[in-house]
Amino acid sequence: MPPSADTAATGAPAPAAPDAGPGGSDGGLRLSSLTKRYANGFTAVHDLDLDVPRGSFIALLGPSGCGKTTTLRMVAGLEVPTSGRITLAGQDITDRRAHQRPVNTVFQNYALFPHLDIYENVAFGLRRRKVRDVESKVRAMLELVELDSQARKRPAQLSGGQQQRVALARALINEPEVLLLDEPLGALDLKLRRSMQIEIKRIQVEVGLTFMHVTHDQEEAMTMADTVAVMNGGVIEQLGAPAELYENPRSTFVANFLGQSNLIEGRVLSRSADVTTLDMHGITVSVPTARTHTDGDRGWIGIRPEKVLIGEEGADLDAPGNTVPGGVVSDVSFVGVSTQYLVRMPWGQELQVFSQNTGRTRMFTVGEKVELSWRPEYAFCLDINQDAAAGVDDGETR
Amino acid sequence: MAPEDQAPARRSTLSRRGLLRGGGAVAAAGLSVAALKLPFFSVAGAAQDPATCRATDLSERERRLVISNWTGYIDPRRNPRGTYNTFQDTTGITVEYNDDVNDNAEFYAKVRNQLGSCEPIDRDMIVLTDWMAARMIGLGWIQPLERERVPRLHENLIDSLRGKAWDPDRTYSAPWQSGLTGIAYNAAYVDEVGSFSELLTRSDLKGRITLLTEMRDTMGFMLKVVGAEPEDFTEDEWYDAIDALNRAVSDGQLRQFAGNNYLQQLANGDIVACEAWSGDVIQAQYDNPDIKFVVPEEGLSLWSDNMLVPNLATHQANAEAWIDYYYEPEVAARLAAWVNYICPVEGAREAMEQVDASLVDNPLIFPDEEFLADTWDFMPLDDRQSQQYEGDWSDATVG
Amino acid sequence: MTQAAQAVPETATLAAEPSGSRRRRGRTGYLLMLPATLWLLLFFVVPFYSLVATSLFDASGSDFRGYEMTYAWGNYVDVVEAYWQPFLRSLWYAALATGICLVLGYVLAYAIAFKAGRWKWLLLVLVIAPFFTSFLVRTLSWQLILSDEGFVVDALQFLRVLGPDDRLLATPVAVVAGLAYNFLPFMVLPLFASLDKIDPRLVEASSDLYAHPFVGFWKVTWPLSLPGVVSGTLLTFIPAAGDYINAEFLGSTNQRVIGNVIQGQFIDANNSPVAAALSVLLMVLIVAMVLVYVRRAGTEELL
Repeated sequence: MPPSADTAATGAPAPAAPDAGPGGSDGGLRLSSLTKRYANGFTAVHDLDLDVPRGSFIALLGPSGCGKTTTLRMVAGLEVPTSGRITLAGQDITDRRAHQRPVNTVFQNYALFPHLDIYENVAFGLRRRKVRDVESKVRAMLELVELDSQARKRPAQLSGGQQQRVALARALINEPEVLLLDEPLGALDLKLRRSMQIEIKRIQVEVGLTFMHVTHDQEEAMTMADTVAVMNGGVIEQLGAPAELYENPRSTFVANFLGQSNLIEGRVLSRSADVTTLDMHGITVSVPTARTHTDGDRGWIGIRPEKVLIGEEGADLDAPGNTVPGGVVSDVSFVGVSTQYLVRMPWGQELQVFSQNTGRTRMFTVGEKVELSWRPEYAFCLDINQDAAAGVDDGETR
Repeated sequence: MAPEDQAPARRSTLSRRGLLRGGGAVAAAGLSVAALKLPFFSVAGAAQDPATCRATDLSERERRLVISNWTGYIDPRRNPRGTYNTFQDTTGITVEYNDDVNDNAEFYAKVRNQLGSCEPIDRDMIVLTDWMAARMIGLGWIQPLERERVPRLHENLIDSLRGKAWDPDRTYSAPWQSGLTGIAYNAAYVDEVGSFSELLTRSDLKGRITLLTEMRDTMGFMLKVVGAEPEDFTEDEWYDAIDALNRAVSDGQLRQFAGNNYLQQLANGDIVACEAWSGDVIQAQYDNPDIKFVVPEEGLSLWSDNMLVPNLATHQANAEAWIDYYYEPEVAARLAAWVNYICPVEGAREAMEQVDASLVDNPLIFPDEEFLADTWDFMPLDDRQSQQYEGDWSDATVG
Repeated sequence: MTQAAQAVPETATLAAEPSGSRRRRGRTGYLLMLPATLWLLLFFVVPFYSLVATSLFDASGSDFRGYEMTYAWGNYVDVVEAYWQPFLRSLWYAALATGICLVLGYVLAYAIAFKAGRWKWLLLVLVIAPFFTSFLVRTLSWQLILSDEGFVVDALQFLRVLGPDDRLLATPVAVVAGLAYNFLPFMVLPLFASLDKIDPRLVEASSDLYAHPFVGFWKVTWPLSLPGVVSGTLLTFIPAAGDYINAEFLGSTNQRVIGNVIQGQFIDANNSPVAAALSVLLMVLIVAMVLVYVRRAGTEELL
């Protein structure tokens, strides 16, 4: 898939990286043309390029089987790439074995050593490298993760959240060039997950290490990471800052996997430097050229549900731009902060609309005729050849 | 009649010592010990009086007979014209024949709690070797046979088996088959081994001989080697013989004490010479003509396995009919032609002309007087002697 | 009216049920224990009691004269004096065989647990497969394998490991090899059970934390497999120390072990008190060694 490779190679969406050098890759992690093909012929990772500047927090986001965990394991040295190179801090580490790499992992389900106490779990890496002053380092690390009182307990005696912090401490204490997090919060309940997300982010900022986080939870990825790489089918579909990915998805998969999107078929009428004009079932709409990601004469016009305004037929909506009349409300669900509508359009498609409950508009009821509109600069246009439903189910399973 | 089809020799079966002894001994030990009286009280002697410990004979009403004999010690029972079926047909007695005797001592261990406390073992006849027969008769566990119901036994028993000290008139026992203990060697590997002292000293045999696990066989020869008579020896002579045995063990001349597959080892060359039973050797010779039996200079040990009727047997008359039947020369010849041991029945040699003429002149089946002149028997041991000597033997063979 | 009358007792029984069923549960527990308890009482406690009693009989008794209970503790002194060598030999052979089983079995169990993939269960069945034939038959076939004219001896003589007149059969090597062979499955199965439970991610975690594979094995896999090591060595050592079939078939007179002595005393020498004293002594010795071992191995430290 050329788009992702291009984006990655240029390193265009260079995220906020406190101490990234010029170009952002000298001290960081670089994967070039990384491929993993298994003996049974399955290609888990396909020709992947990725640049992670030092000190940044990148999330690999995707549904299960997309290759994100395999990528992480290749970086850790637990999986041998079929081809491609891995460079870390300017050194090629492709052929180094796991224990020779300055990389540490927080494993899914933590993989804490059940026969060692918390203290020895955390000290494990230091002892292997014969580092001096283990005692004070371990104490300091246990303090950082607020477990200093549990040092002599066995992992099985701790709660899930505590175990998670031990796993983090055990990896962090080695001050790795890259810290890998493999779905580290998957086993926690929602509330604990939220607080751990913030906790990990805090620690990352505090220690300033490069974090690479693998998750299938788009909200988690967006909350924590500076940069998110959305993976699908062994390739990076799109890489960028969370807001950019969300606002300007380049593929139907990204549009659907990150949040929700209305995708409406349109025919290109004209292209100019700034704006692409399309015919959307008889209504002329425009999309900024910078957000048009197709060269064809047709395309999917995309708009996020919360960007769509809903009003009574003929009402003067405050959106100067694309107005779509003739909708009928087919479903209403009130969720407190907003109301979610399904509106059946004249061409039969149902569009989603999230309306903030600001109190300025009234609620509509099922069967009412309504008019929809949105600002053209929020719309995007995608390749008509892509599946409009790509990533929908994957996104829902989280 | 093709003797090489099967290996009927009872002493050469793999199972002989190992199988039942190995597995059964532990269980037998546990159970017999368990059956000793509780709590921490003494255990009375096991001697019984056969005159009081006897059952009513049901032979007339129940035409059946339960026998325990050694494995492979009878001509094929599935042969409708074999001795076994002929007996059943002519007498109308149904015979339950068990080949569950593998070892004298082990069989003793199995029955001693019952017979020692006058309880039935559900057998009308058991077949055991001389010394065990002597012990059981001494313990009073064996019923005397009705003389008039076994006329052929007293008529046809060969002379060399008469007049045994432990049962001079064959009141309690009737030999089933007899055998000789001598030396066997494999001519493919070594020259003839002519005597027991050669067996124990020749350097080309070092580590490649076995002796039998039967105390009376092996110690008889050891006594001969030290110049004593097995038929009458003193305690000092006994310990000389034990010392000689210990020397053979410790200097590595002896490889093992064997009870079962010693002839298989002799055939494949693991051992080149051994103390051996005659019937086994005849059997092995069918497969491997290199295996030779030697009458050692020290002489031969002649032994018998004897039919005995235990206390509380309920079909004694039927058992006696069986004994008398097998003392018909023609029947005895048919049996001997199959099992290849010495036939204890006078006249069987003449009958053998009709059965298998090639065996008539085999001295290991029909030994002549001259041949038997050199045979000896082991002195009967009283209770204390037997306990002492068997303990010494056990220590010597187990190390 | 009749309906109401019927209804009342019904609710009463319902209400009474909780406590009743608790009582029944308590009784069910004892009932379930009953068969095994009776079994053990009948086939362990009684024989053991009788065994101890027999070991204290006057050793000069016999079946003919009977046995007198003289509380002859001297029997124990006598048997130790007379048979300390086969005792030591039994323990030494069993220890050697257990050591060999541990090394072979660990490698095998490790390979099955971590490397065999979909062949795992087939390989396990193969490990157990020898059990489908009798213990004696297996040992007897070792007699053939190790025979002087057999290919093993020939090959070793060709390689000059053995001299031209050396042999394997009827040597300690054959006895220990036979023991190791016969008891290997008892080692492999508990080791496998232990190793198979180890999360492979723990091994990955150790190498991720700078442990060389050997160090990772020593610091993670080995300690986590210790329960299997302890039960495997016990399951191997205990029966190997009491086994006498291997010594009987594969050894010579100079390799006889305590099991042979017990059998000889019981069956050939017909000396029950000595045989019983030896049995009790062997049992006490093994139990004592096991207790020390289990404490030393510190299994309670694990998980």
